[in-house]
Amino acid sequence: MSVYVTRAAGRGARSKAKVSAFYDLDGTLAGLNLLHATVFFMANLGEWSGRAAYLARLALDLPRLYLAERHDRRLLNMKLFEAYKGVSRDRLWELGDEYCDRVLMRHLYPRAIEMLEANRALGIEPVLVTGSPDFLVEPLARRLNIEHFAANRLVYSRGLATGRMLEPVMAGSEKSAWCESFTAARRIDMAGCWGYADSYYDLPFLCALGHPVAVNPDRRLLAAAHNRKWPIVRFSHDAEPVRDGGSTGAWLLDWLGRATDGATGR
Amino acid sequence: MARPEGKLKELKTAELRHEPGARRDLVVTLNRRSAPRLIAYGDDFWYEKLPAGTRVIYPPPPLEPLADPDAAIRYALLRPENADPLFAQLNPNMRVTIAIDDISLPLPQMRRPDIRERMLNIVLQTLADYGVDDVHLIVATSLHRRMTESEIRRMVGERAFKQFWPERLYNFDAENRSELAMLGKTDHGEEVWLSRRAVESDLLLYLNINLVPMDGGHKSVAVGLAPYQSLRHHHNPATLRQCNSYMDPTRSALHHSANRMGRLVNEHVNVFTIETAINNQMYGGMLDFLQKNEDRFSDWDRMRLKGFRWTLGNMSDSLRRQVLNQYAAPYSMTGVWAGETDAVHRKALARVFQQYAVPVKGQSDVLIVGVPYVCPYNVNSVMNPVLVQCTGLGYLFNMFRGKPLVREGGTVIICHPLRDQFHPEHHPSYIEFFHRCLRETTEATELERNFEAEFARNPTYVHMYRYGHAYHGVHPFYMWYWGEPARQHVGRVIAAGCEEPEVATRMGWESADTLDEAIAMATSDLGRSASITYLHLPPLVIADVE
Repeated sequence: MSVYVTRAAGRGARSKAKVSAFYDLDGTLAGLNLLHATVFFMANLGEWSGRAAYLARLALDLPRLYLAERHDRRLLNMKLFEAYKGVSRDRLWELGDEYCDRVLMRHLYPRAIEMLEANRALGIEPVLVTGSPDFLVEPLARRLNIEHFAANRLVYSRGLATGRMLEPVMAGSEKSAWCESFTAARRIDMAGCWGYADSYYDLPFLCALGHPVAVNPDRRLLAAAHNRKWPIVRFSHDAEPVRDGGSTGAWLLDWLGRATDGATGR
Repeated sequence: MARPEGKLKELKTAELRHEPGARRDLVVTLNRRSAPRLIAYGDDFWYEKLPAGTRVIYPPPPLEPLADPDAAIRYALLRPENADPLFAQLNPNMRVTIAIDDISLPLPQMRRPDIRERMLNIVLQTLADYGVDDVHLIVATSLHRRMTESEIRRMVGERAFKQFWPERLYNFDAENRSELAMLGKTDHGEEVWLSRRAVESDLLLYLNINLVPMDGGHKSVAVGLAPYQSLRHHHNPATLRQCNSYMDPTRSALHHSANRMGRLVNEHVNVFTIETAINNQMYGGMLDFLQKNEDRFSDWDRMRLKGFRWTLGNMSDSLRRQVLNQYAAPYSMTGVWAGETDAVHRKALARVFQQYAVPVKGQSDVLIVGVPYVCPYNVNSVMNPVLVQCTGLGYLFNMFRGKPLVREGGTVIICHPLRDQFHPEHHPSYIEFFHRCLRETTEATELERNFEAEFARNPTYVHMYRYGHAYHGVHPFYMWYWGEPARQHVGRVIAAGCEEPEVATRMGWESADTLDEAIAMATSDLGRSASITYLHLPPLVIADVE
């Protein structure tokens, strides 16, 4: 499947686990969403005038994004990724690494990572399944020592993003389809696998796994979880962060600082 | 003002014996003209005609409450059993930990002020008077769910809550490895782990409520402040099978194990136990008819019963559950003792038996019990099928001393709708236990061998226990083991009024639509010669079976 990505692992790193735990990223492992990442990218592209133009365009698009979110998560992803049109692949990957270090790692829920590591200690292999772009997810997977992940990928033309996404778009039922192919390839029984997600749009993904867990669920997923008797877990930032300290306020200051420190354009 | 000691006459041994016939009117044999009987049926009550010849066992009337509970507590602290008075053990530089029973008892919750609030206020005042300020309050939840802020506030009262919450008043966390300490092993090889704060304290006070005789004693500290590593030594099928019954601590392997552990704790920790006993005044005011013999119902009682059942029947499930959970029982304190654990518990136990014990002659072929809406593990939550099993076969079957009320190989009829309903935030591991483990086997030893360790270590369940309000991952196993003595003893279990037969089948039970059908099934082999006993509760009763 085109969207399937396996990070190059070192020798002997191939896991022998027969049970996997599939984690959504935004809202599940981290208290951020794709819009945060997009704003960060827009605010760090080009010179001042370019940044202003990107942000203005994004701001104008907000109503459309809101309607897309109400309608379909897949549509939201597609609309949001249009914002990257014209940005070079190198710049996106460089900023992805930076975003991961400066923002994403600080906003991982400490207890989510604690749980991920505890699962790993029991031989449950972690796998990321997210609608975020690969240039964000790959650096995170590397830092969390996660071997496999599935993420969305942009289409590039001559090294520049076209604003379109490679099919299948990782959202809703595509996530469950990916999990099925992943487990089938490894002869893992999906009934023994765990799935962690926060959104109602992840319902097909959660339903496909034997141990679905609703994490900080939205209103509709909460109702579905209650109805289906799924465990409901709530993560927050009230414990010590995973790495160096950081809070939402600190992130904002950080982000503003980054936005004004003269990052080079594409 | 009356002197408190005047109101605290200790019971003499002779008074504690229940002569056959002393409470004869509490065992009633029905005839054709007898009135229908009230039977708890989940969050409803049945009013059912039982076959002529059925023996009905009623709870004894509530004991007289202490006239001045606060004075009685102060007196107990001044005149403890086998220990120096509390004030004499205090100095300003000491570290004190106060452990408190959680809301798994009494059931239903009691009207305010809670007994724990009364005890805390007096103990805290004493500590303050003697300049002790390094004080922590730990709710001894063991592997139960963490109590919520509002539940703790209601239990300990405003004064303690405002002063100690949340830094110095908190739930015990059995999964916080850094806060646990191992004290050693008993001569039976049982590992004794305990809250580190309690171990490192100069004085550990335990404030207890004895609702039933299985509560209190060494079980309070050695279980309430202990993690899975300790509990697995007695909460297992092998130990529980040797309990005859849970309500008779002298014949319960569970209690013997807890006693061994508790004595080891007391060698390392200065434990000062405060135990209380309460009466069985579960219903008062407009609901007092629920404690009456139905043959003595007045027209007013029957009208209230009709109104009560009509009201419950016309509520939605969630509203009915909320209303019932909000109900607070007018329990009153009947005794309080303080000091050395064993000495205190002996006296508390005598008072508890004085409240509940009813002499009963002989066993029967069929035992009928109604499982109500609440048990120790679903306070403000949902009664799921595993808890119905625990209540029916674990608690209600064990409401005896001597012999079980039902003969070996007999039948237990459990009245409950038995719905496939769970609270996903309170009982997440129960759901997997019921739908995955019980599908494979209902054999307790197999469940223990194949699944227990996996559930106990499961990171999601550990997280939900530590940071959410979930029971520990291993808890459903303990609930299942709890029914083990009954499963070993009885031949059949029939769920009467079962709405979802698959649920009964999953647990190895038979199901019947109505109580009549269940009785017909149970007596099919024996015909009219079958003897039937109905244990009329709530409130609680313990049968001394000859």
